[in-house]
Amino acid sequence: MCKRIFLSIVLLYGFFAKAQYPGYTLLTNSTVFKEQFAAASLKTNTIQSDFVQEKNLSMLSEKIVSKGKFWFKKENFVRMEYNQPFKYLMILNNGKVYIKDAQKENTVSSASNKLFRQINNILIDCMKGSALNNPDFTARIFEGRQAFLLELSPTATNLKDFFQHINIIVDKKDYTATSIEMYEPGGDNTVIHFTNKQLNSTIPDALFTIH
Amino acid sequence: MRYLPFISFLISLLACSSPYTKMQKISRDAGCVQKFRPAFDGTLYNTKVDVVGKHLSGLLLIKTMPDSSTRIVFTSEIGFKFFDFGFSHDSGFKIYYILKQMDKKAVIKTLRKDFELIMMYNIPMQDAYVLKNKENYYYYAFPQEKGINYYIIDSACSQLLSMERSSKRKVVVEAVMQQYHNGLPDTIGITHKNFNFTIGLKRLEKK
Repeated sequence: MCKRIFLSIVLLYGFFAKAQYPGYTLLTNSTVFKEQFAAASLKTNTIQSDFVQEKNLSMLSEKIVSKGKFWFKKENFVRMEYNQPFKYLMILNNGKVYIKDAQKENTVSSASNKLFRQINNILIDCMKGSALNNPDFTARIFEGRQAFLLELSPTATNLKDFFQHINIIVDKKDYTATSIEMYEPGGDNTVIHFTNKQLNSTIPDALFTIH
Repeated sequence: MRYLPFISFLISLLACSSPYTKMQKISRDAGCVQKFRPAFDGTLYNTKVDVVGKHLSGLLLIKTMPDSSTRIVFTSEIGFKFFDFGFSHDSGFKIYYILKQMDKKAVIKTLRKDFELIMMYNIPMQDAYVLKNKENYYYYAFPQEKGINYYIIDSACSQLLSMERSSKRKVVVEAVMQQYHNGLPDTIGITHKNFNFTIGLKRLEKK
């Protein structure tokens, strides 16, 4: 009897998991994925790409689209340069966050701001392949035909205010993130798509310099 | 020298006097204001906020909803939402979302009043009156629950020069909406007079 109930629960769980993300199935054993993900991440030292960011405001039926360039360099360097429809620059450099908008520039130490540090870590983790080790989230892994979907649900209370969950779509070819989807509790979401990716190209350190 | 205290008293009285008391009340149709009411339709603004030495930037989306209410959503450039407010013409106001760090009564009240001023909400024509100053500008006055909202317009009713929210004695907030295109201002500026708080909006083309 117990076996039947257990089997029903597993089947039901599998059914809902499958229904949650069409084209994806929940990985019940993620060991192989984790090994391959870690191995591929070890080989990736830099990522350079274009990006398109979509902010979807569900209740307003509105979408805010912005575009720019993205650079990542191990271990903890990220540069996001928004070019359209506004200019905005964000550099993450070993725990410091530099922000430059059309009027001002500002540097914040993420060490002094827990929330900044946590959000900072999400982006770095997505690129470094260490997203599954972040203690602020629990993870489920789904497999599709061409990609894996990593669903991260926040455990930290302050992050729950911002995110219902974060999905990272990982390309099966090179195990790098093709998009990051951030879902808010109110139903809105922000999706960042990375295109024209170049792995391990030479990226000068100067791009991440914070003055 | 013995008149010094009296002169000082007079100066302080003058400094305290309302700038509106010297204006002449005239009979004029207050409906002129309506033509400057912006029809926000999912309009996106690049936004800079400076408040007591702190700088914040982001994107402000203003949209008139099918029920004629207006939603204002402010997000950071990277997508984090700061607030989402709803305004309706019957003085209704709803907070759909506000970041915990901003969730303070004074902050919400200030933002609400500022946006009501520029969206020209709560301006019932039956309560309105018009003042004229020496430069021949017309001050369309709309008494609020507290204070008065003024829309300063040229004599031909062809240009909205500025907006003011005032207490009984002085101007509390000054605002401008300039470079109208298709009924929408390209730039909006809000400046508080009693503390260091400014909001600057520059219209963006949505892609």
